[in-house]
Amino acid sequence: MPEEPILRIENIKKAFGQRDVLKGVPLSISRGELKVLIGPSGAGKSTLLQCINFLVTPEAGEIWLEGHRINHHRKRELYAYRQQVGMIFQDFNLFDHLTAVDNIRIALLRVRGMSKQEADARAMAELERVGLSGHAHHYPAQLSGGQKQRVSIARALAMDPKVMLLDEPTSALDPELIGEVLAVIRDLVANGMTMIMATHQIGFSRALADEIIFMVDGLVLEQGTPERIFSDAVCDRAREFCAKITELYGESL
Amino acid sequence: MDELTFIQSEILPAFWKGLKVSIQLIVPSALLGLGIGIAVGSLRVYGNRLVAAMTDGYVVLFRGVPLVVQLFIWYFGLPYFGVYLSPVAASIVGFSLCSGAYHSEYIRGALLSIKRGQMLAAQALGFSKLQMVVSVILPQALRRALPGCGNEIIYLIKYSSLAYMITCIELTGEAKILASHTFRYTEVFFMVGVFYLILVSIASWGLHLLEDRLTLPGFEHHRT
Repeated sequence: MPEEPILRIENIKKAFGQRDVLKGVPLSISRGELKVLIGPSGAGKSTLLQCINFLVTPEAGEIWLEGHRINHHRKRELYAYRQQVGMIFQDFNLFDHLTAVDNIRIALLRVRGMSKQEADARAMAELERVGLSGHAHHYPAQLSGGQKQRVSIARALAMDPKVMLLDEPTSALDPELIGEVLAVIRDLVANGMTMIMATHQIGFSRALADEIIFMVDGLVLEQGTPERIFSDAVCDRAREFCAKITELYGESL
Repeated sequence: MDELTFIQSEILPAFWKGLKVSIQLIVPSALLGLGIGIAVGSLRVYGNRLVAAMTDGYVVLFRGVPLVVQLFIWYFGLPYFGVYLSPVAASIVGFSLCSGAYHSEYIRGALLSIKRGQMLAAQALGFSKLQMVVSVILPQALRRALPGCGNEIIYLIKYSSLAYMITCIELTGEAKILASHTFRYTEVFFMVGVFYLILVSIASWGLHLLEDRLTLPGFEHHRT
């Protein structure tokens, strides 16, 4: 049943100086889907995610959210759009001068304009949801990597985004901390959050993704269901890549 | 002892009068200068090209012209345009604008040292540029800039003595007058030195307290 995609991207091009990082990338995602970007380093996965919320301004390309084209030159429209698209970074990027609960509260207070009580209540609820209410008054320097990433997920969720972008959320974590973050992401999938994730976590993607998008050198080489891509990819480069990472990362779930 | 009586009966009352004027100059100038420095530093880093060029120009001008000349312009020069500032007002204007230019450099350095990820995260949440600078970047940058800005405030305490050149008789002015009348330059200027040393020590102690108050876990202190 073809549903209007919640987010549609067409022909994104981005060059940094002489280097063409993205050479015309399309993507569309429907409500509740999880699409995973895989590919070697330098493929442009992070750049694509940062183009989606205009943290990086693409040279060409258009983005539609719920059928409405986003004009990123209009500041107000851009800021409103960014509130609806949450982003999780590989380096967590928690605000170092604020406690965990304040990290979540600050956007609610300053951007959403909520009252102090509402913001407090919502922030504590989100922390509870990721299992960290005990650490509410700790600063980022006092939290482990997995805890920091979970706080950053809570911070993004508090804004009630329509789509979440996850840029290698577990790549900077110790192996034993990856599980707690994947558990939170799995809950998001179960609750129907629309997500685009760049990751090397093959077991996780194979089990939960609706579609795998394989990128190399700024282009989408192949895309399809996990079963097809991982066992029977059409192009050689994709086969080669999948074989190598399955060997490396195994069946981690 | 003759010197001690002299000190007690003549120096201290004169200096006390001068000290009150000095404080009147130093406190507003320090606060205004820091405020100007924060605004100008932020505009130089985050403003658009025109604003950044104008604020860079302000810094070049006010760091390039000697402070004494700046004070002369405010006090003796403005009357040509019909603006008459009192010695105290002219001094405060001169000190604030000059120290603001220096503060802005410390602030600019601190802003540039904040990790780019902090900015990205704020933008991703939908913060406007102004909100981002005020709520996320400045609170962190100001802690980093504190040693430098504190340094500038201490310097201000000492260069506030230039006010006597535009007839604002503060501590150094009183000292000069007293010394000229009594010819006891040694005692007088030794005591002026002691007074400024005490002022600076109090300020240093206050800044140290502030630094301790503002420390956050993991934010810079590496004392074990």
